[in-house]
This record gives sequence, structure tokens and C-alpha cells, in this order.
Amino acid sequence: MKNDSKSGICEERTFAAFFKSHAKLLRNYLFYKFGNEEQANDVAQEAFIKLWENCASVPPEKAKSFLYTVANNTTLNQIAHQKVVLEYSKNSSTPTTDKQSPEFLMEEEQFKVKLQWAIGRLTEGQRSAFLLHRIDGKKYAEIAEILEISVKAVEKRIHGALLQLRKDIDTFK
Amino acid sequence: MNEDITLAKWLNDEMDEAELNEFMQAPEYATYSKIKTLSAELKAPDVDLKDLYQSIDKSQSQIKKPKVRKLNSWLPRIAAVLVLALGISFYLFTTAVTTQTALAGNRDVFILPDESEVTLNAGSEASYKEWNWSDNRKLQLNGEAYFKVAKGKTFDVVTPLGTITVVGTKFNVKVRNNRLDVTCFEGKVKVTTKNGTLLLTPGKTVAFNDGKNLELPNTIANKPGWLGYETYFANESLQNVISEMERQYKVDITVVGNVPAKPFTGTIPMNNITTALDIIQPIYHLKSKKAGDKIILTAE
Repeated sequence: MKNDSKSGICEERTFAAFFKSHAKLLRNYLFYKFGNEEQANDVAQEAFIKLWENCASVPPEKAKSFLYTVANNTTLNQIAHQKVVLEYSKNSSTPTTDKQSPEFLMEEEQFKVKLQWAIGRLTEGQRSAFLLHRIDGKKYAEIAEILEISVKAVEKRIHGALLQLRKDIDTFK
Repeated sequence: MNEDITLAKWLNDEMDEAELNEFMQAPEYATYSKIKTLSAELKAPDVDLKDLYQSIDKSQSQIKKPKVRKLNSWLPRIAAVLVLALGISFYLFTTAVTTQTALAGNRDVFILPDESEVTLNAGSEASYKEWNWSDNRKLQLNGEAYFKVAKGKTFDVVTPLGTITVVGTKFNVKVRNNRLDVTCFEGKVKVTTKNGTLLLTPGKTVAFNDGKNLELPNTIANKPGWLGYETYFANESLQNVISEMERQYKVDITVVGNVPAKPFTGTIPMNNITTALDIIQPIYHLKSKKAGDKIILTAE
């Protein structure tokens, strides 16, 4: 994706390609972080605009980290912490077991609801790391890059997230 | 390992078989397993990336060039220059005087900012300030002009011989030599000279020669005759009649010999010099000789 032409990111084609490969992930990450679609879109837009403004001074290989630095530095006057509302894919066809009795399906539906609720209760850091892994299928190393922390720290957050989710779900029973 | 990250390893399928077997025996395993499976089915709300890109695109054109970051030192300078420029242009604007001139042989019609119409007769000049016109309708006049004034507050025509104040009206003002003539055609006109103030109603004319009121008859016309190139003179000296002809025809008229000092009253056409001269000559017993734009009138 990266193009080392003279004008680098300033060239609109390069910028467009860069946008295409990074916009969705950035915006998803911001959504996990803020729990608000609109804010996520706004901050993503802002980050890309900043990148464009500074395209002359940002080499293509640094563009990604520039983007996430801007996004991470954007502090929002968050009205109140909003609950992250996630959906399940409609075509989820991977039941946890082969047993598909109505009782079982009911139980699974309940579990899904509890999981959503529990994810909303995670800390911002834990949730971002966990969902980048689960939804966007990112490797820990990539998540570390996005969150600008070490891989070890990502693993700690994931571990912490799982512990917390399990605890919340099992106490909710 | 000072911190436990086993769950992270498990989630990322990094556990070796022994570890995994052990973990699967734990009572919490069932829940963890469900979390792992079902969390993979989650998805973030859809986003219209095209829309998002467009919203960036829009701002692009404004910021094509990298920004100069020395704004701090530049802004005050730019602001100062702007303020100064604004101040100067405001001063020039507020004090700027617009002047309209009609040279000899020419006439000039112009419209004031309030749509009032002014017709300048030949050899006349009017000046006024455009700024704040509606609150300060004042015009300096030297020469002769016919006014059709739009409705509004007072409208002043300032002449060297007096000030004419009107409210929504049609009137004619003539300032020549030491004589001031004001004729009202519509509405009311107030004439203020050093001798006092007079109020004119339609049809009334007031004329002062060297400050003396000439007591002129009423007119039944609804506009001055000169607009139709028929200039009416009332009790006018020959010198003034000749001066007016010089302006209208753009000629040089010289009178030679002794001419009777009686005033002239009557109408003189201003688009046919032969007829005009034919009217004057018998009254004052003059003979004319024409050479180019020079005319010599000799007493018989």
C-alpha cells in the first residue's frame, strides 16, 4: 500500500489508498474506545485530516503511527461513558456445541446478552485490545502498535479482560 | 513471568497441549470457551467509509499547502495591517465627496443614493457625500439644477447664496453670479438666505439679486422650462441672459457699445441659437456677427 513517490502521502492516490486500508480499523478501534459511533467517526475523520495537513512532513512508513497517535491524543469531552453497543453477525452459524435444543439456544441467547453487557463494563484499554482481537482479528503485535503500548501490555490487558468478563458473566447468572 | 497472561495466550491459541489440557479441566473453562466463540461473532456497527472520505476530501482543497506554523508572529501583524487598512478606507469612505459636473453645452442627470434625481444644467457642479446619505442628505450646488427628491428626511441644497431645505418635492435651484432663483414645482421648499427664511409652495418662485428679493410672478409649469430647452428669464439682466446662452450653446458672446440697462423677461430657446439671437436683438437694438463659436453683438 505504501508508495514512496516524491510526494508520498500528499499525492491523492496514495492518500486514498492509505485511507482505504486503515480507515475501517481506526474507526472500529475508536468505537471500542469511546462506545459512540459518531465520536468515533469524528475522531477518525479528524485524524485523517491532520495526516493530510501534515502529509509533507510525514513519511509514508510513519503515516500509520501518526494516524494512531493523533487518534490516541484526541481527548473527548465525553459526556458520560456510553455503553458500547455491539451487534452479533446475523449469519452466526457457529453454535458452541452440536446440541441445538430450544433450551440450549435460549441459553446461548442469554449468554450473548450477558457478554455484551460485560464488554461494556470493561475498562477502555481492556475493551479496545479485546475487541481488536476478537472482531478485527488483529494479532497482539498489531494491537500493540495501534494502542502504542508493548505486546506484553496487550497480553496483560487481554488476560485482564477475559478474567473480568468471566467474573461478570458468572456472577450475573 | 511476574504477571499472569495465560488467558491471553489461550485466546491467541498459543498454549501448548499440556497447558491446554490443564486449563480445560478448570471449572471456569466453559464460560471462557463461550466468551471466545461468541465474542468472535460480534461486529462493530457499519460505517460508510466513502462518506467519511468525502468529508475529508472537502477540507482538502483548503489546506493543499503545508501550513506555515509561524502564525503567532504573523497574526498580529496581519491584524494590525487589516485594522489600519480598514480604518483608512473607512475614513476615506466617510469623507469621500462625489462631484458631478455639467460642462458648458452639456447637461448631466444623476441619481443620489436615495434615488432622488438631479438634472444639472450646463456649466453647473454639484457635490455630496455618499456615506450615510439617508441620514444626511446635503448637496452643494453651484449653477442650476432641477431636483426630484425622494421621500425621506430633510434634503438640503447648499449654495453660496443660501440653503434650500425640502421634504419630498420637485424644485429648481439656480445660482448665477449674485442671483439665486428657487422655484417649487411640488411639495414645499424652504429657502434660507442671510435675509431670512421663506417658504415656497408649488408654482412659487423666489429670486434674490445681490440679496434683494425680486418678487417674481407664479409659474403654472410643472417643471422648469430649461429641461425642454426653453429657458424662462424673469426680470433678468441682459448680462445674465447672455451668460446663460454662452453656457447652453458653448459659445463666446461679446457685447460692444452702449446697451440699454432694462431687464429681460421672456423665454429663450436653448437649442436654436439663430432664433435665440433673433429674440434678443430687436429688444436691445443689437446686430450680431458670428465667427465660429464667437459671437459679437454690436449696439446699433
